[in-house]
Amino acid sequence: MINVSNLSKKIGDVNALNGLSFSAENGKITGLLGPNGAGKTTCLRTVFGLLKADSGFAEIDGIDVAKQPMQAKQNLGLFPDPCGLYERLTPREYISFFAQLSGLSAAQAKEATTQVIDKLSMSDIADRRCQGFSQGQRMKTALAQAVVHNPTNVILDEPTRGLDVMSTRILRELLLLLKAQGHCVLFSSHVMQEVAALCDHVVIMAKGQVIAQGSIEQLCEQAGKDTLEEAFIALIGSDEGIAA
Amino acid sequence: MINIIKVLFKKEVTDASRDKRSVMAGLYYAIGAPIGMCLLMSILLQQLASPDALKIIIENANSAPGLVAHLASSDIKVADDKNDPLLKPITLSISDDYKQNLSEGRPATVTLIADKSDDKLGKHINRVEKAMAVYSSEIASLRLVSRGIDPNLMRALAIEVNDQATPDSKGGMILGLVTFSIILTLFYAAMSLAIDTSAGERERNSLSLLLSHPLSSLHIVLAKVGAITAFSMLGLVIILVVSKVVYPMVAWEQLGFSITITPEFMLFCIAICFPIALMSSSLQVFVSFMAKSFKEAQSYVTMVLFIPMALSMVTTYDIATDVVQWLPIAAQQFALMEFIKGNPIPVPQLLLSTGVTVVLFALFSFLSARMLKSEKVVFGL
Repeated sequence: MINVSNLSKKIGDVNALNGLSFSAENGKITGLLGPNGAGKTTCLRTVFGLLKADSGFAEIDGIDVAKQPMQAKQNLGLFPDPCGLYERLTPREYISFFAQLSGLSAAQAKEATTQVIDKLSMSDIADRRCQGFSQGQRMKTALAQAVVHNPTNVILDEPTRGLDVMSTRILRELLLLLKAQGHCVLFSSHVMQEVAALCDHVVIMAKGQVIAQGSIEQLCEQAGKDTLEEAFIALIGSDEGIAA
Repeated sequence: MINIIKVLFKKEVTDASRDKRSVMAGLYYAIGAPIGMCLLMSILLQQLASPDALKIIIENANSAPGLVAHLASSDIKVADDKNDPLLKPITLSISDDYKQNLSEGRPATVTLIADKSDDKLGKHINRVEKAMAVYSSEIASLRLVSRGIDPNLMRALAIEVNDQATPDSKGGMILGLVTFSIILTLFYAAMSLAIDTSAGERERNSLSLLLSHPLSSLHIVLAKVGAITAFSMLGLVIILVVSKVVYPMVAWEQLGFSITITPEFMLFCIAICFPIALMSSSLQVFVSFMAKSFKEAQSYVTMVLFIPMALSMVTTYDIATDVVQWLPIAAQQFALMEFIKGNPIPVPQLLLSTGVTVVLFALFSFLSARMLKSEKVVFGL
C-alpha cells in the first residue's frame, strides 16, 4: 500500500507538488492521471525517495520513505521514465542485476529473471545487448526489471509510452495479474484508454494537486459526463477556472 | 553490504569492459608510452653516438693545412659544393698573416663567422670551437716542449673524479621520466571509464533508477571506484610488462647507466601504486559527479589531473623542495626512483604519503556518496 499525505515540493520557482494526498490500496490498480506538467513524475520520484518533499510524507506499507528509505524501498518495484537501461548489458544481465539489488540471491535472481522473461515473451531479445533496442523492447526490459523480485508495490511512470498493440496487451495482462495476486499497482499516465481499461481507482491531478479521485464511475458521476475523457476535461477545466 | 558492493562491482566491470573505446583509450597509453619513449631515446642516443659529418666553409684554407687536417680528423670538413646538404652556415676565416704568426710563436687569428642565435646551429658551432681549442692547446704544448719547458706547468690542478654512482643510479632524469609515465598510467588508463560510469550513467538516466533501490549511495560509489581502480591497475601491470620488455632494447650504456625493471620492482610498484589508484579513481568520480554533463566532466577531470601531474613532474625534474617530498604521489614516485637506483627507500615519507593518499580516497568517496543524496546532483539540475 502506498500512502501520500499532503506532499509539497518546490522545484526552482515552480510548486511542482502542492499539498498532494492520495492512497493506492493493495489488490487495486491506481492510476495517476494528469496533463503534462501536472507533477506526476515529481510525485512518483518523491515516493521512491529520489526527491525530498518540502512538507508532507509518502509511506510504502506504512514506512515513511524519507525516514527509513532502505526498509521502505524493499518492497517496491519501479518502472521509471526514462527507462534507464544499461546499453551494454543484455536484458537478462540487467534484470538479474536489479533483482539482486532488491535482495534476491544470485541463484534466486537467475531463476526469477528467466521466469519474468518468459512471462513478458522477451526470450528473443533476452541475450542481446540493449543498444539499438526499439522503444517497445526498452519498455519491456524496464518492466521486467520492475517486477522481477515480485514486489508488493509496483510504481510505473508512463509505462505504455511507445508500446505496440501486442506489448500493451502483455502489459495489461501483467498488471491485472499483479492486481489479482494482491499487489498494489500505481501508475501514471495521460492515456485515457489505458486508465479506463485498467484502473480501479483514478487520481486526477493538475498543478501538483489532486483535483478529484475515485472509481471511473464515481468520477463520471461527479463531473456529470459519460466517459472518463469528458469527465477529466470537465474536472481539469473547472480547476483551471477556480485557479484563475 | 559486501554482497551488494560485489553485485554492483561486477556490473560496473562488465559494463566498462564492453565500452571498447574507453578501454582502448586507456590501454593505448599503457602500451604506447614506454614504446614511444624508447623510440625517442634510441634516436637521441644514435645521434649522440655518431655525430653527423659536418661541412663548413674555410676561407684561405691553404694557409692553415695543419688546422684543416686536425678539423678533418674530427669529421669537420671543407665543403666543396655550396649545395651540399651537410654544409652548415659556419665560416672559418684564416687571416693572411696566419702562417707567419704561427711560425713566430704569436697568436694566429682565425675568425669564426656564424649566427649564434640559431638554436639548431649551436651544437655545430660548439663542435668547431672545441676542435680548434684542442688544436690550439696541442700546438701550445709543442711550443713549450721545443723551448725545453714541461707542458704540465700549465696544469695547476690535477682533478681526479672518483664517481661512486652505479650504472643503475646514474639515470637521473630518464629514471624520473620512466616512473612519471608509470604513475601517470594510474590517472589516464581509466579516465574515460571514470567519466562514463559517473557523469555518463547520470546522463543515461540509469543513476536515478539505481538510487531508487534499497542501497546506500556509498555502496554505489565504492563499487564504481573499485571498478575504475581495477582498470587503472590493469593499465599499471601492462605498462610495467611493456617497460620490462622494451627498456632493455635501448642502448643506455652509451649514457653510462642502465634501467632494469626487475620483478621485485614490479611488485613494489604495484603495492605502492594501489592506494594512488584508489585515490585517483575516487577523485575522478567525485569531479565527474560535480559536473553537470558528460562533456563538462571531461573538461573538469582533465584540468584536475594537472595537480597529480605537477606533483610527479617536480619529482621527475628534481625540483622538489623538502616539503613536497612528503606529499602524495611525489613521495611515492621518489620511492620508486630510489628503488630502481638501489638506494634506501625513504620510509617515513612513503608511509605518510600513502596514509594521506588513503585518507584522500576515503574523503573523495564520502563526498561523492553525499553528493548522490542531492537532487541537484542526481538530476543534473
